[in-house]
Amino acid sequence: MFAITGDTASIKTTSYKVVLPFYIYAAVSFLVATILLLMSGNSFLGPLFQPSILAITHTMALGWATMIILGASHQLVPVLIEGKLHSEKLAWLSFVFAAIGIPLLVYAFYVFNMGAPAKWGGRFIALSVICYLINIFISMQKSKRENVHAVFIFAAVLWLLFTVLLGLALVYNFTFLNLLPYDSLHYLPVHAHTGIIGWFLLLVIGVGSRLIPMFLISKYTNPKLLWIIFWLINAALIFYFLIFYFFPERANIFIPSILILVAISLFIYYCRQAYKNRLRKQVDEQVKISLLSVVMILLPVILLLIIISLLLGKAGDEKELPLAYGFMIFFGWLTAIILGMTFKTLPFIVWNKVYRHRSSLGKTPNPKDLFSHPMFNVMSVFYLVGFVLFAAGIIISHLLLLKIGAALLILAAALYNLNVFKVITHKAIMK
Amino acid sequence: MSTETNNNIKCSMALAALMHVDDPEIGLNVVDLGLIYKINFDEEEKKIVCTQTLTTEFCPMGDSIVSNVTQALQQTFPEYFIEVNLTFEPPWNFEAVSEEGRKFLGHY
Repeated sequence: MFAITGDTASIKTTSYKVVLPFYIYAAVSFLVATILLLMSGNSFLGPLFQPSILAITHTMALGWATMIILGASHQLVPVLIEGKLHSEKLAWLSFVFAAIGIPLLVYAFYVFNMGAPAKWGGRFIALSVICYLINIFISMQKSKRENVHAVFIFAAVLWLLFTVLLGLALVYNFTFLNLLPYDSLHYLPVHAHTGIIGWFLLLVIGVGSRLIPMFLISKYTNPKLLWIIFWLINAALIFYFLIFYFFPERANIFIPSILILVAISLFIYYCRQAYKNRLRKQVDEQVKISLLSVVMILLPVILLLIIISLLLGKAGDEKELPLAYGFMIFFGWLTAIILGMTFKTLPFIVWNKVYRHRSSLGKTPNPKDLFSHPMFNVMSVFYLVGFVLFAAGIIISHLLLLKIGAALLILAAALYNLNVFKVITHKAIMK
Repeated sequence: MSTETNNNIKCSMALAALMHVDDPEIGLNVVDLGLIYKINFDEEEKKIVCTQTLTTEFCPMGDSIVSNVTQALQQTFPEYFIEVNLTFEPPWNFEAVSEEGRKFLGHY
């Protein structure tokens, strides 16, 4: 007989049943996106906005990055907001709506049918985000404490909702002319940057600033610095909108870009301090990759500054650099974070499911033993080489490089899927 | 044998049992990690109260660690009622880690 007393609310976790479908869906989406990449190599040599590129971008942004972030954040909500997740049913609904909406939208882009598939896809995705927003909002209301990480996440979800609603409006704008003053392509940079900066960047910093010190067992905390980063990013987005609508001269884009550069540099400083003050001297590979991906955020920002500088000197539009910019964000920065963090979070979720009540009965494997490290290392090599070759292929418009890069990325995605499958199907081993 | 000696022996047995419960993220046992604050034996009520903490509040592995501490004590002392009292006052800090634990974390 036993009883657990004291601060028991602080050990409640979200059920693995809610979280695992997000991970599985994301893994499959990553594989699909890399296959589409190989099938659409020629598209990267043509004009900037093409159906297959829109399909790949949305598979990566929604099916891969957003789905895994939603899954992990449902699991990590208690850590991040210091309170229990309000509803697992809402989390499940969020998954179902997104799981239906994403393939509809991707299919609609691929065949460029902005009718029913695109509209229903967009509606389902909006419903998914609304469920998530309600869930996070009520969870935060129930939490006794206010913390900066929770504010990052809530603001990120608001930006995601804005991005999705704007995206839906753009879909409608394709079929109902004059819904918006300009054609939909005109608004794509706003849609893209609200998603990339408002949703992904805010969320990654909000979650990373909590998890990186936690995994390093670091003594370092600096909420003041995180608040500065938070306001810099939000100010950059607001400046961006003002410039887009009222002062659309290209040179003005430097202002939000510099604000983002400062915010990212401060976050890198934060991670460096957490690393310096860590109690755990040996850092595992997954955390190393996540730290590397923090530095990798600088790549697209620097590229953006180069693009703006080049555009200022030319009247025409460059297509290679904006394509490389988008590729570096989705296949570079976001994918690197996810590849590292999947094998830091997923083994824990599965370990908790399998060994939660067994570990005192004998020596159990550690969570890090649940996935294949050699497979992880080979995947990392395929990924890095594939990423570099494909990015080079975009910049110098070289089809063979694009094909080889995409083939290596498919191999990386396949190994990722195999390793995820290995973790999810893990059965108890007692030594 | 005096009650105090008896209690000391039982405390040592309890700590020995808890040495088999690891923090799965760190791979170090909860005793060397300094998560166990106090173990009290109440012989009249046949009850053990183990006061413990976690390295961080809302630790994703918290439920698992607390559950395994309970089971380890229950197995060693089946005739006792086990109460695990989870507290974050005072919060855990590195000073609580034993010499063995510091070696494990790579500090020497």
